[in-house]
Amino acid sequence: MSRLRDFFSERVPVSPETMRELTNEPVPNHLKRWWFALGGTPAYLFIIMIVTGILLACYYQPGPTTAYQSVRYITEEVAFGWYIRSLHKWSATFMVAGVILHQLRVFFTGAYRRPRELNWMIGMGLLVSTLVGGFTGYSLVYEQLSFWGATVASNIADSVPVLGGFLKRMLLAGESYNQHTLSRFFVIHAALMPTLMVLLLVLHIAMVRMHGVTEFRFPDDTSEKRYFNFVPDHLFSEIIVGLLLMIVLSTLAVALPAEMGPMADPLTTPEVIKPEWYFYVSFRWLKLFPATVAVLSMGFIVFLFFLWPLIDGLIRRRWPGSEASMYVGAVTVLTIIALTVWEAVVAH
Amino acid sequence: MSLRAKQVVIIVLGLAFLGSLLLVQYMEVLRKKQEGGDRATAHVVVPQSSQSCVKCHTEKTPNIVEHWRYSTHSQKGVGCLDCHKADRADADAFDHEGAVIATIVTPKDCSGCHPREFEEFTRSHHSAAGNILASLDNYLAETVEGHRGNFNPHGPTAGRGDITTVNGMASAASGCQQCHGAKVALKGKDGAKITLDDLKPDASGRPTNTAILATVQRTPEGKPIIHESTWPNTGIGRLNLDGSRGSCSACHSRHDFSPRRARQPENCGKCHMGPDHPQEEIYNESKHGIAYRDLVSRMNLDAKTWVLGQDYSAAPTCATCHMSGNVRNGGKVSHDPGERISWTNRPPISKLLDTDQNHRIVNEADPEKRKALTADSWGDKRRRMKDVCSHCHSPDYVSAFYTQYDELVILYNEKFGKPGQSIMDELYKQGLITKTQFDEPVEWTWFYLWHHEGRRARHGASMMAPDYTHWHGMFEVADRWYMHFIPEAREVVKKGRESGKVAQADAATAVIDKIMAKPEHSWFQGGMDAQYDEIRKQMEQRYGSK
Repeated sequence: MSRLRDFFSERVPVSPETMRELTNEPVPNHLKRWWFALGGTPAYLFIIMIVTGILLACYYQPGPTTAYQSVRYITEEVAFGWYIRSLHKWSATFMVAGVILHQLRVFFTGAYRRPRELNWMIGMGLLVSTLVGGFTGYSLVYEQLSFWGATVASNIADSVPVLGGFLKRMLLAGESYNQHTLSRFFVIHAALMPTLMVLLLVLHIAMVRMHGVTEFRFPDDTSEKRYFNFVPDHLFSEIIVGLLLMIVLSTLAVALPAEMGPMADPLTTPEVIKPEWYFYVSFRWLKLFPATVAVLSMGFIVFLFFLWPLIDGLIRRRWPGSEASMYVGAVTVLTIIALTVWEAVVAH
Repeated sequence: MSLRAKQVVIIVLGLAFLGSLLLVQYMEVLRKKQEGGDRATAHVVVPQSSQSCVKCHTEKTPNIVEHWRYSTHSQKGVGCLDCHKADRADADAFDHEGAVIATIVTPKDCSGCHPREFEEFTRSHHSAAGNILASLDNYLAETVEGHRGNFNPHGPTAGRGDITTVNGMASAASGCQQCHGAKVALKGKDGAKITLDDLKPDASGRPTNTAILATVQRTPEGKPIIHESTWPNTGIGRLNLDGSRGSCSACHSRHDFSPRRARQPENCGKCHMGPDHPQEEIYNESKHGIAYRDLVSRMNLDAKTWVLGQDYSAAPTCATCHMSGNVRNGGKVSHDPGERISWTNRPPISKLLDTDQNHRIVNEADPEKRKALTADSWGDKRRRMKDVCSHCHSPDYVSAFYTQYDELVILYNEKFGKPGQSIMDELYKQGLITKTQFDEPVEWTWFYLWHHEGRRARHGASMMAPDYTHWHGMFEVADRWYMHFIPEAREVVKKGRESGKVAQADAATAVIDKIMAKPEHSWFQGGMDAQYDEIRKQMEQRYGSK
């Protein structure tokens, strides 16, 4: 055994003490609360997405004549194909929800403030990447709704002044949906976005490690010791959350498996076009305003949130102790919920 | 939570997750099972008596063994010999690898395990489909299209020097008999057909004329040769060597004997289609057929019982209405489709289906005598069909439908069927046309009118297919009547008169004139200018003067 240890010690010249220090940073006491043990959830879901995505890619064939049939083959013929596809779909749904909830938690606890402004921006990048991944993944099935969803999205891109035509061509690999569109979506979904997200996640976690986790002192926490060990205390909590999540995903995959809608028919527009739930808010927004106004205003709002730590900093310098972020956050969340519910309950 | 507690929770949750994977495995097995029609993972039982059959035929004819593996028979231990075994005294029995077997499995063989189905089927009109051998349809195939016997070729066929004779019955063998059923024959040493008429089977199916078996042609291994003009054949009214009628595989196919297949309309469509009885096309046009195509995934076709209202409700198929069980009849399946049919639209004039104790149609016209002879009335049959309808439709709706249907059949019968038959009878009676069928244009015209177009109209109305009722039906009946049948009948009369048959011509003319003077035909000769003007006026009101 010692010979084996010596073998690795020689080839990986990091002392056990250094390793322990690198992997076992003390974390603040508030992380003992279960609600704060959800931080790793999006990352955990991301790993499930990668694993199930690789398995799905073994059978998926992008292309208008092959995509739908290959997904049908995965769903109906491949052993456990339906399960893997359902896990992938539910993980995607949970991941979008998880990233949004994580972002909200950071926003409302002010954890984005100095010196963590850049990490907030990285987080926003992860949120946008997650949404792009969700959109392209949904489109890959080549169902009626996903096809027309992609068509609507390309029209939205086209509404952007000056750059619109270019963005649309970049998205569709041509002036309109064509035989190369799905290949492009597949590359974005299975290569570009995962790579970008891995890079952003590494940066995100590195920044967390460099700055340390933002500490919250709760009134009932009277212990003198303000920190506890990541390993094994917090690691065990994360494993418990991960196992619970896996059981929930597995149950959903069995009870509500991913199904197949009708195959895309470019000649027949469905009576009702609905995107995935996380785009309901933008879909409703588009229906409320002319396309260009809606697209520019949405882009502007996202841009404002991207820069929010800096804007919030300016406000707090001008009005120390200001709680403007609370009001802005509350109005934004209520608006998002209202528009999402509105879109969900109406037929058109 | 302490570290120890967390460890326990992790172990419990880990086990729970592994348990959920067992559920996933169960779902996967269930899915495969559904795909395979409840049979993919079912345990196949090869009975001892059939093990050598399965072993050898897995090499020689692997697909029929594979078909059998997917059958309910295979799960219940019903093997090859259970169906193919024969008594040495049977006409077609032969020794095969240590067993006495017969090639053709007849309904009598199936009756050993399925006596009720055998009894229902034997009394059905399906089992009597072989009666076509003495019908006008078969006269067409055997005489008009072909020839009763062999004849010499018109000329040599390049590359086939062996064609020295023509089988005049080929159209009947490959056409009519594949649906109606052949009279199965063993091949005599002189090439003759040895049928049940020669074998005279007793109640057990064994031939009483055993002497004739010595004249049967056999292979070197002793296997009797079945006459190739009568087999292969799975016609539903096949006349078998053992005296039984029919072929269960006509609907259930061999060797998987699939209930699923028999429940699907395409199965019936093998025979119930085409210009003379397009039931499959009519069904496809109807709302029933449209619903079936859309909702086939919800039809639960693999269900063990397949009871309407219990196992499925998405749409009806042919089997649903005519044969299968439903909630209202306690799930009782019948292998006699005639049990729910109130009109027969097969003959030139539709008849109400009162049947006697022997399940034969009662043709008696006198009401009292008819009532006395009737064991199962057309009203009883209609009530059974209405029970099926009532799973989806209200009583008023069903009654109103039957009123529409009855009125269409009666319209056809009274305006074209009965008058047409009267004219044809008169032409024969007066000797204006020969007794030979199909040698005069008017006979072809009349045949088209009732056998093709008239049936299409009536069948179309019976199963809610408007296009078949009207354009493919009554419209063509009317065209055939006014533009062909009546002119041709008058032409026959004219030629008769010219040939000196004046009195006969007068009698036939009187019949035609009397019919054509009736109010329903008077428009043709008297004109309908007033009605036309009224229609034109209404069109102008609706669409403007142009």
